Formats: sequence, C-alpha cells, structure tokens
Amino acid sequence: MNRIVISMLAATAAVATAAESHIDDALPAYKSVSGVSGSLSSVGSDTLNNLMTLWAEGFKKAYPNVTISIEGKGSSTAPPALMEGTAQFGPMSRPMKSEEIDAFEKKFGYKPTEVKVAIDALAVFAHKDNPLKGLSLKQVDGLFSSTRKRGGDDITDWGQLGLDAWKGRPVSLYGRNSASGTYGFFQANVLGKGDYKSTVKEQPGSSAVVQGIGGDLYALGYSGIGYKTSGVRTLPLSSDGGEFFDATYDNALSGDYPLARFLLVYVNKKPGEALPSAALQFLTYVLSKEGQTVVEKDGYFPMPAELAKEVVESLSK
Amino acid sequence: MTPPDHQPAPDPKRFEVSKGTLWLDRAMTHLISVGGLAVILAVFGIFFFIVKEIIPLFSGAHVAAEKVIATPGGKPLLLGVDEWGERPFLYRGGSEIAFLNLEDGGSKVVPVPSLKGVEVTAASYDAVHQRVSVGLADGRVGSFLVVYETEFADDGERTVVPSVKVEPWFELESGEGAVKMLSYGDGGSKRSILVAREQGLSVIRLGQKKSLIGKAKLTKLGSDDLTERAEGEVSAIAASQNGQAILVGAGATVRYFFIDGGVPLLKQTFSPFDGKSVARMDYLFGGVSVAMTADDGEQRVFSLFRPEDSNQRLFGQTKWFPALGEGVPVFAASLRKKSFLTGAGGRLSIRHLTSGSTRWEGEADFEAVAAAIDGKTEHFFIAGEKGQVQRFSFADHHPEASVKAFFGKVWYEGGSEPVYQWQSTGGSDDFEPKLSLIPLIVGSLKGTFYALLFSVPIALLAAVFSAAFLPADMKRVVKPAMEIMASLPSVVLGFLAGIWLAPILDDKVPSIILVCLSLPLSSLLVGIIWSRQPVAVRSRFEGGREWMVLLPILLGVSWLGWSLGPVLEKLVFVYKDAATGKEIADFRLWWPQATGSSYDQRNSLVVGFAMGFAVIPVIFTIAEDALSNVPKTLTAAASALGASRWQVVRSIVIPVASPGIFSALMIGFGRAVGETMIVVMATGNTPVTEWNIFSGMRTLSANIAVELPEAAPGSTHYRTLFLGALVLFMLTFILNSVAEVLRQHLREKNKIV
Repeated sequence: MNRIVISMLAATAAVATAAESHIDDALPAYKSVSGVSGSLSSVGSDTLNNLMTLWAEGFKKAYPNVTISIEGKGSSTAPPALMEGTAQFGPMSRPMKSEEIDAFEKKFGYKPTEVKVAIDALAVFAHKDNPLKGLSLKQVDGLFSSTRKRGGDDITDWGQLGLDAWKGRPVSLYGRNSASGTYGFFQANVLGKGDYKSTVKEQPGSSAVVQGIGGDLYALGYSGIGYKTSGVRTLPLSSDGGEFFDATYDNALSGDYPLARFLLVYVNKKPGEALPSAALQFLTYVLSKEGQTVVEKDGYFPMPAELAKEVVESLSK
Repeated sequence: MTPPDHQPAPDPKRFEVSKGTLWLDRAMTHLISVGGLAVILAVFGIFFFIVKEIIPLFSGAHVAAEKVIATPGGKPLLLGVDEWGERPFLYRGGSEIAFLNLEDGGSKVVPVPSLKGVEVTAASYDAVHQRVSVGLADGRVGSFLVVYETEFADDGERTVVPSVKVEPWFELESGEGAVKMLSYGDGGSKRSILVAREQGLSVIRLGQKKSLIGKAKLTKLGSDDLTERAEGEVSAIAASQNGQAILVGAGATVRYFFIDGGVPLLKQTFSPFDGKSVARMDYLFGGVSVAMTADDGEQRVFSLFRPEDSNQRLFGQTKWFPALGEGVPVFAASLRKKSFLTGAGGRLSIRHLTSGSTRWEGEADFEAVAAAIDGKTEHFFIAGEKGQVQRFSFADHHPEASVKAFFGKVWYEGGSEPVYQWQSTGGSDDFEPKLSLIPLIVGSLKGTFYALLFSVPIALLAAVFSAAFLPADMKRVVKPAMEIMASLPSVVLGFLAGIWLAPILDDKVPSIILVCLSLPLSSLLVGIIWSRQPVAVRSRFEGGREWMVLLPILLGVSWLGWSLGPVLEKLVFVYKDAATGKEIADFRLWWPQATGSSYDQRNSLVVGFAMGFAVIPVIFTIAEDALSNVPKTLTAAASALGASRWQVVRSIVIPVASPGIFSALMIGFGRAVGETMIVVMATGNTPVTEWNIFSGMRTLSANIAVELPEAAPGSTHYRTLFLGALVLFMLTFILNSVAEVLRQHLREKNKIV
C-alpha cells in the first residue's frame, strides 16, 4: 500500500518537474576554451535585453577578461548598429526587413546572419483582476487596429467583449513604440499588416507596457512573455475564434498558440569565415544547456537541441 | 605768492591708460566678438546641417538606360529577375527557362523537369515569392520557384547562381479546355490559385499549417467553380498576396470574391472605368491596392477599405493616373516601396501610390511585352517582341516624400478617407509609411498650451508676490528654493508624472476641477474679508506676512475640494448607459459621452502639470528679476504720493518690468515647446490631431527622441525626422523673432524717463 503511494507520489513529482522545465536534455553543456578575451557589445531588442544581460553575466563568469556592453532600445536599432560596427550582436524580436538587409548588404556585400536563440510567445496582457476568458485574433485586431484587416468589428468598450459588468468602460490600449520588433511582429501577425489605432499608448519598453497595464484595471496590451509580472495576466488566444490556447511551451511549438516566435540575434559574419572567437563562444554559450537554462529562468522558452546544434555548426564554418 | 618750486611737475602720462589695460581691453573685445560670431556660426551650422539632410527628400528619380541584349527564341511570356538585378530570366512557355548573363550577353538554359512533355498554355509570375505558375492544355495547373543562390569567392566577390525548384500539380474539377489565364495568390498559410479555362473559371484553395519548427505541408483544401457567378467573358484575373481575395474582370465589370475558410463569397461588383473594359489588374506590393488598367491605357488604383458606417472592406478608387499611350500595357511592382513601373506603346512610366505622382516617364527603344523590377528597386528590365532585353538603372530613394505627404491630407492604403497621419515604420516590408507632420506639430503646440495654461498664472503671480510683497528675509529663502525646482532633471519629472501622477489623477478629475476653481475664488474671498478687519488685527501680519493667514485657509479649501470631488462626480458627471439605462457616476465615462472625444489616463492634463513644473521656475526667476529691478526711486515716489502696495505694483512695477516679464514668458514657451523627456515618459506618445485635454499627444521633439535610433541613416524616415527638427526650429525661431519685436515695442512704450 505504502509502496503504491510512494510510487504514485514519485510519478506525480516527475510529471510536475517535466511540466516545469522544458530544457532539452540533448543540449550540450558549455565547455570553456582558452584565449578568449576582448570586448563585445550588443544593441537592439528590448524584449531580449534582460536575456542578453543574464547571458553576459554567465559568460563573464567563464571569461573574466571579456567585457560586454548591452543596450536595448528596440529591434530596429540593431541593424544600424551592426552596420556601423558599433555592435557585434544585434538582438531582434522580429526578422530583419528587406530594406534593412539591403542597407547592410550594400555596405558589406553579403547579408547579415540570423541566429535563433530562444522562443517567445508574444502575449496579450490584461490587469490581474480582469475576468476575461480569452480573445480571438479577430477581436484583438478589432481592439488594436484602425484598418481591421481581419474583418472584425471595431471594439472600444469592454461590454463588446462580453463583460457586462464593465459595460461602457473604454478599453485602454498599451503597446510598444515603432522601433520595437514586438510592435512589428504584432502588426504583421495580428493586425494582418494593418495600422494601429492612434489611441494605442506607445511605451518605450516592454516593462513600461506591463507596468502600465498593472496600474490600469481597464487596460490591454502586448509584450513578450518574459516580462510577465504578478500585476498582470496573459489572455489565452485563439487564431480562428474556436478553442483558446494559453501561451505555454507546447502550444507555442505546435503552432496552436498563434503568436509564437523565435528571438533572434543578428551577427555580421563573412561568408566562408568563422565568427571571431569571442563572439562565437558567446553564441555557443547561449545555445548550450547553461544558456538555455537562463532563457527559461527569464520566462521565455528554450530551444530544441537539434536546432541549437544546427545553428552553432553554421556559425563556425 | 609763488608756488613752491620743489613740487614735481605732473606726469604728462597721468591721463594715459596703462598698456596692460589697453591690451587686455583689445584682447577681450576680440575674444568676445569671436565668441559671439561662433554662436551665430554654430546656429547657422546646425541650420545648414539640418537643411542638407532634408534636401534629398525633394529630389526626383534618375533613370539611365543600358544596352539592349538580343536573345534567341522569340517573344517571352514572362520576365523576372533576382534581387540584385544581375541574372534576369525569360520564360517562353516551353520546358526550359533562360537566365541571361548581362556581362557577356549570353544565357544559361535551365530545364524545368516537371514541364517535360506537357503543353503550357498560360503562365504568370509572382515576383514576391519568385514563383512561375503554369496552366496546361489538359487543364492542370502547377508551379515552380526560381531560386537565386549566392556564392562568395575568396576575395569576397559574389556570384548569383540560378536554379529552379518544382512544386506539385493540381487537377481542376470543373471547366473544360486549356487554361487561358491563372493567378497564384500566396499568403503563406492561406493560398489560392485562380484559373480561367477556355470554358469555366475556378479557384483552388490551398492551406498550410504554420508551426514554429519543422517543414510545413501544403494541402489542397478544395476547389470551387465560379463560372456562373463571374458572368461573362473573363478578361483579367488577379489573386491577392494574402491568398484570400480574388478579382475577376469580365468586360467593364470587376467582381471581388473573398475566401474566409470556405466557398468564396461575392463581396462586391463594380465597374472601375465606368464602361471601359479592364485590360489588366495587378496587385501592388502588399496586396491591398490594385492597379487597374483600362484598354485605352488609363490607370486607376483601387484599395480595399471600409467605407464609413460599413463593416465590409470593399474596393474604392483612391488614385488616378493618366493613360500612357496605345498598346498592350505591361506592369511591374516594386518589392520594397509602393512604386510601380507601367508601360504601353513604347513609353514607360514609374509611378508612386502614396503620393499619386509620376516619378519618371520616358521613351524606350522598343515596345515592351514584359517588365520586371529587381528586388532592391535599383534596376528595371523590359523585354520586347523579338526577345531583346534592356536593363535600366534606377535611383529613386524617397518616392514617398513630398510637401503634400508631409503637410497635406493623404489617402493611404486601407483608409476610408484622406487623413493626416504619422506612422512611420511597420514590421513588414510592404508597410506604407505615413509621414504627415501635422499631428506632431499639433502635439507640440498642444503640450505647450496646456503646460503654459498651468504654469503662467502660478509663475507670474508668484514672481509679483515675491518681488513686491514678500519681506526680504523670506525672499532670500523662497527664490533659491524655486530655482532648485529648475534643476530637477526632466526625465525624473516625466517618470514621476507617468508612473505616479497619472494613475492618481486618473479617477480624480472632478476633485482637480474643484480645487482649480476654489483656490482663486477662496483667496479673493479671504482678501475681501481681510480688508474689512480692524487695523489691530491686520497690523499683526503687516509687511507681506499676510500669507500666514491665507495659507492654512487655502490648504483647508484644497483639502475640502479634493474630498468633495466624488460628490461633484455623483451630481454632475453621470454616465448613462443607453442600452440598459444604468447610471454610473464616473468622469472617465461621462467625458467621452458628453463631448465625443476620448479619455486617456496618460493625458495632456498630466503633461501640463509635469511640464508646468519644469516651466514655472524658468518663468518665475526671469520675471522676478525683472520686477525686482524696477528702480526703488519710482516705487518709493509712488508710495510717498499715497499709492497703496497694490496700486504701486499695478501702475508702476508691472508696466516698467513688462518687457522682462514678456521675455520670461517667451523663454518659458521655448522650454515647453522643446521639452522632450517629460512628454516621452508621461504621455502615450499617441500621434492624434486633436486638442482634447484628456487625450495624449506626440510632440515633434519626443518623436525625434523616440524614432531617431531606429531610423537608418539616409532613409526617408531619417530625413523626415530632420524635417521635423527644422519645423521645430522654424517654429521657435519665428515665435522668438516676433516676441523680440514686441518686447522692443513694450520697452519703448514704458521707457523710464
């Protein structure tokens, strides 16, 4: 009898830990190499800012001689910084636009290299006391967009979302500024490349968005899942108006959660040549078990081992 | 008596200035002139730097024709090109595709395996996905991708290596005969192929599930027969880049079908040219606007938008372009901007959608049967009847810039009417930038107005009180204290306003109204009562110490007003729900209902308070100095003649100091109009064009601060931000000049003796 209980407990414990951590066991542990020094700098995404800082701390433990400076004002600041050589890393939360690639290519003759470093589920946040069950993308488009390319109704009032108690209360909208990759990703994937309403309050950082929502009961806003705080909750979403899916690892990977994306770091890598050793070691660290543990700690989702291996190999060629 | 002769004669040089002093004097004169000139030069330097960045915005397009390359094989069906404009391809309908080499004029023929042994009767090219779609005599449709890969030599030289990638065939279930026309609309997860056969018109629906990792699988969801619903001989077709919208032109009528999961729904039937036949329909980059070309060459652009009071997105005409000439029209859209190349009868024209302008027009050496623009929009190509190909190099860096785009109303894609709008960047390539400066200018003036509304009365009254009434010992404490306020960094003020003040003020608007009304009224009332008091009472607080009585009363009144706010709200600001009849006492709901304008937590009121806090010390200090510097002789004389303190202030001090007060106001204005960080932090940076006090704003300066780091140097966006800087510069320059003239005038008028 006792045995059964113990094994059951063990089983539930195992399930619990499995549900908690999504680190792929096949990810390699990071082995430091000798002779790495110098200074690295990173300019770009605000969504990735905390992650870059944490990675830099971990990396400096292995290589005390390396100095890393990090600036995160928005994904759109990454391409100019990479181009002008003021940064080795350009973290971005959206893929580079063709015009940005064109400008880079004009200067160097080749395109910048994209490195996938983590998985994010872009979340729609509401105040923690918001009773709403979930939203369909059509509704989100109706809330945030003036063009409403998904064909829904214009939504400005909580009553229109089925919250009768909040009828007449206008929805207060928070979003990112246009330099942000999150802004661009949301625009491309939710608004169907439409326009934002001019009443969406543009905040200079993801934490400002979340803070704004935490202090405003009737607020809605979007930002990367890593910025979730106790003052807000993420709303489950559905792409077709059917079942709502929460922003979890499994839903993000399967594509059920409609706003999953890769977080990227762009580097200036000459074709046929490996990256300089300090930069290469940093990215190897990022895609190792240690680096991906940091990803999970910061609230984002780690990369599958196979993909991580592919990326590291392509960088050292 | 003679003067004693032992007295020395006076030094003849005693009236001369020492050499050292003279030298210093000259040196300082030069130094000061140099300094002054340097300031003027610096201002002009900044001005010229800004203007230099702006001028390219208004330059036109440059096109240069290159030599014609002859290719064997006759008339091409399709012409396409890689993104660098190096290896254009010609497809003539067989099972091969020819890639030209522009350097030696030769071509490399690449076989397309899937096209062996079939008869191609129709083909179309989608430049966005580089996909050639073909229709066969037996009614099948298929496609292949043209792939350009790059290889780098050791010296870094790039070679473009072309190849093809075959995609699957699809059978049609309806219609008869060979395929006449087809159009492949690829929206990633949703796709459609619109096919017109000799008899019958149908659409194939394809779907692809998007998952984060692994290859996606394309599946056929179904096909629908549109023959009966299309009515008439089909003359032009187009499937949109989102895979959901399809357009069928039959004679003069165009039908717009929308696919929302199932069978296509007929949404709209319209006649774009009022009776003239439609010869071509081409989607512009982004898949929202369609360039329709009539059989006589006239071109009209139709965009999908939501007409007022409608929930349906329908096509409506937004732009018009004149006919180029007789002949079969050709068309190619840019893949970076909203520009497109069109040609007919040997003439070519490059046009831009947003501005509705013709960027370039010229004559070609031969009549084009096909046209293409390279991905980077640096070259365009035309192919002629005999298979000849010509490349044109093309530079038009700022097609979206024009005086009208910056200061006029523009009809943007997807909008239901021409508007002033600022939305400079989007997350995708096909975003149409909206660069109207009007919302920003309005935002700047709005922020300044509310800041001055709050700060000017407080600062000026405080200055008058401090200069004319306050005892000297207290003034020594008050003035520096006010000046310390000016040293608060504006980013701190902005942060406090956005994070701390805005949530507090959010639901306290009635309280603020009460406080703002009751403070001046109650101080007037106290004044009246005080003047009726016996001298014995009044003399206890003489010489500018009356505030000791006033202050506790004002504090009490403020507290009362603040706590009575909710009562006022219940009495006056009651929102009535039209549907249920329920009444809620909430100013935030009442305001939109009563005025029709929005209520925002981060609004101009908050900015007015925060920015006012920054402006008050500036105005106060300068105005106080001007008031204190009024000669004592004047005020003493007035007092001696029996004028009361207030009479002295009103008729002597204020008029004499008025030029200085005016300067204080102008400097305060300059501070407010250029203030950046407070606005960035405390408002939502919403570029709205309205004066509503309970909505936010985006100012010119905040806009530069927020967007300059992301703007690529040399881009239209970057230069437009500089244009915003110039507008701000001109705004303050003009206002300051006018103010200086007024100040001189005031000075003349109130000249003392």
